[in-house]
Amino acid sequence: MIRIRALLARAGEFALRYVSLDVEQGEYAVVLGAAGAGKTTLLETIAGIRRSDGGTIAIDGRDVTYDPPERRGIAMVYQHDYLFPHLDAAANVAYGASSRDDARGAAEAAGVSHLLGRDVRSLSGGERQLVALARALATGAKVLLLDEPFAALDPPRRAGMRRTLREIQRREQLTVVHVTHDVAEAALLADRVAVLDAGALLQTGLATDVFARPVSARAAELLGAENVFAGTVVGRADDVVEFRTGTLVLHAVADESASAATHAVVHAGEIVIAREAMRSSARNAVVARVVAVTSNGALARVELDASGTPLVASITASSARELALRVGDQVHASWKATAVRLC
Amino acid sequence: MPERRRAWSLSIGAALAASLLLLFLAVPTGSLVVSGGAAGIAGLARDRELRRAIALSAGAAAIATLLVALLGTPLAWLLARRRFHGRALVEAVLDLPLLIPHPVAGIALLLLFSRDSALGGALLALGLRVVGTPGGIVAAMAFVAAPLFVSAAREAIARVDVRYEHVARTLGDTGWRAFRRVTLPLAARGMLAGAVVTWARAVSEFGAIVILAYHPRVASVLAYDRFTSFGIGEALPVAAALVVVAFVPLALLRALRMERAP
Repeated sequence: MIRIRALLARAGEFALRYVSLDVEQGEYAVVLGAAGAGKTTLLETIAGIRRSDGGTIAIDGRDVTYDPPERRGIAMVYQHDYLFPHLDAAANVAYGASSRDDARGAAEAAGVSHLLGRDVRSLSGGERQLVALARALATGAKVLLLDEPFAALDPPRRAGMRRTLREIQRREQLTVVHVTHDVAEAALLADRVAVLDAGALLQTGLATDVFARPVSARAAELLGAENVFAGTVVGRADDVVEFRTGTLVLHAVADESASAATHAVVHAGEIVIAREAMRSSARNAVVARVVAVTSNGALARVELDASGTPLVASITASSARELALRVGDQVHASWKATAVRLC
Repeated sequence: MPERRRAWSLSIGAALAASLLLLFLAVPTGSLVVSGGAAGIAGLARDRELRRAIALSAGAAAIATLLVALLGTPLAWLLARRRFHGRALVEAVLDLPLLIPHPVAGIALLLLFSRDSALGGALLALGLRVVGTPGGIVAAMAFVAAPLFVSAAREAIARVDVRYEHVARTLGDTGWRAFRRVTLPLAARGMLAGAVVTWARAVSEFGAIVILAYHPRVASVLAYDRFTSFGIGEALPVAAALVVVAFVPLALLRALRMERAP
């Protein structure tokens, strides 16, 4: 369990500002942020590699704010594995282990037992990263800090390693803080998500809540929402508010803070595309022109132009094939008022 | 075409200038070894005084290198890894032995260790005499050669990504253990090269030693002594033997590095 309160840490011109974050025992937390947001600084401050300039860090109920890294009960894996080049894979895994059995167990858990005799320079990127993970696990630390651990891997290896890591984390009940800029990775792995921007946390919460309800336009952008509209609330009728953005008027569910909203967010996956106009319960329906269709494995990203307002929809590749979408085609796009998040 | 010709002219000009400098460096030492080398090697076999002087030079240089390595490695680590107040002053102090004439360094050391100084007096009270002893030779050698080791070690440590140390710390190592288990092995080759250069520099020191400890005579002092007493003919074998002794480890080191280079 990790409790961070009002953490301040300076790194040159950059500073982490009053970061507070709770990660429960056995929870997988992902800190999401763009490059330069302070993700590595945050992780290194939790690890004790970087000194904090204020605030507190407690791990498993013990205040470790002023403890050196080796007394914090954590292990860390960097984006570049940092395997010790003067040691073979087995010696790397055993580096921080208290016994040979621990090292063997960790190597088995990470699926690298067959690599132990190898010179680390002969390992592929994915193998190296798994060995680095085994090395961290072998310490027996119950808190794992991961700094973009999959960034250097190709997509198939990345998917495999994600699975391995999540399995190990669940089995060993590890508390994980994983920093990344990859929204898909966060969505696939996280129990809890924290959105970090320019050294400050914009939003934290359970992954499902954070992805469904970003607190601001910037948080929405960082969370991968492709449709973030700036505008104003122009009307209210019963339980629905009207939000004008450019040429579009969006309908959203009214809540207490709706009238002060300056942005509306619609996830690309919430938008339905049809060839013909449909009678449905969706409160938002527009006619749009297809600008681009790009396939991304099982999904297709469809860029639309709704009377000058750009829209992005994410549909299955099979739907895109069935609809035979071509650039310039006219389509009907719709989404429910509950899919519009005002912030 | 004119561009190609210009490039050629530039290469030829650079090669000529480089050759001149290399010849200037190699010819005097080479001719010294050629004209006195055989006599020097023969002298090593029959001249007891020369043998003793070479052994003293090599031994004192080894001790000086060891001392400098022990005290210089923490300083090299600090300079490579830490930003601290007074860093510029530390760097200036390290430059001192390279900037001042070595006899001046000898005089400074003489002032420090003479029986009239606080330190020299205290050491004498403990029965330790520095001036005119092998201890003085080691002190003079360490003084002039220390910056070479610190500079090489600092560079070697700086080349090791600090994140290796960070990872080692998160794997349970204290700062010292991380340095010993990770940084030191990774920087070892550069530090060893620095130690060899330091040793070679210490072996060839004359100016500071001749002031602080003329006796017992090291090889460089012996060469000078024979030159002033008997002329160049007597000094030549000693000088040649000294060049060979100082140069061989350096040449071996370079050969080893070339062999290991990918």
